[in-house]
Amino acid sequence: MSASRTLILCWLGLALLSVASVQLGNAGATLLMASAVLLAALGKAWLITDGFMEMRHAPRLWRGLLLAWPLAMAAGVLLALQFSS
Amino acid sequence: MSTSLELPDASPARHLPGDLAMWLFILAELTVFALLILTFAVAQALQPQLFHDGRQLLDSSTGLALTLSLLTSGLLAALAQEQVRQARARQGAWLLLAALLSASVYVGLKLGEYSHLVAGGLGMEHNTFFTLYWILTGFHFVHVLLGMLILVWLAERCRQRVYGPGNCSVLESGVLYWHMVDLVWVLLFPLVYVLN
Repeated sequence: MSASRTLILCWLGLALLSVASVQLGNAGATLLMASAVLLAALGKAWLITDGFMEMRHAPRLWRGLLLAWPLAMAAGVLLALQFSS
Repeated sequence: MSTSLELPDASPARHLPGDLAMWLFILAELTVFALLILTFAVAQALQPQLFHDGRQLLDSSTGLALTLSLLTSGLLAALAQEQVRQARARQGAWLLLAALLSASVYVGLKLGEYSHLVAGGLGMEHNTFFTLYWILTGFHFVHVLLGMLILVWLAERCRQRVYGPGNCSVLESGVLYWHMVDLVWVLLFPLVYVLN
């Protein structure tokens, strides 16, 4: 698959996940829904990291750092939400 | 006769795009944003009702439009980089200008949202939610503006055919900065507009 085609597919995935996260947010105010919204955000962040930033071809340490950042953010937000519920 | 056993490396060599300095800068920026995001999350845990009410005053469809404009801009910048790698610098310059146009939609929408909030008395001192909203989104907005300046500069350099297939590390670094702005936003968007 050409690089441009891969980028366009990444963008499509990002757009779909963005719309889905708004729908999930409107569906209800439960911890399960919040988890789903954060999971969608994590998927988007990883698409940007591996797709747009080309970290899938980068040294493992750098790729790991970039993939870990959104994971840590989503986990932190979820943990905070759990304490408030 | 060779005495050592040399195995061919089947996997392509791993390569970090852009300059190392840009990556260190990106890591520093992500650390600052991480502190802000976690501060927002902890404040929300302490005052869930206040944050719920605050979010109701924001329009999630505007948030979605902001997201789509930034993501589209990111796609166009990535496509521009791909064109330059294939020795099509002029096409790259046009795509960077298109990325800039898409980013301008973000700026227009964000300024509209800001002026609407200010007109409604929802400034930085209104409550904790809006204090953090203004700090978090304002700090990100400054990054968007800086990224747009970088895109303008890169587009001009592409127009002058400064970059080519073997010489695009600076272009990659600039485009990486722009993707970092996207990366931060995809976490800010659900946190500020969507989560309940």
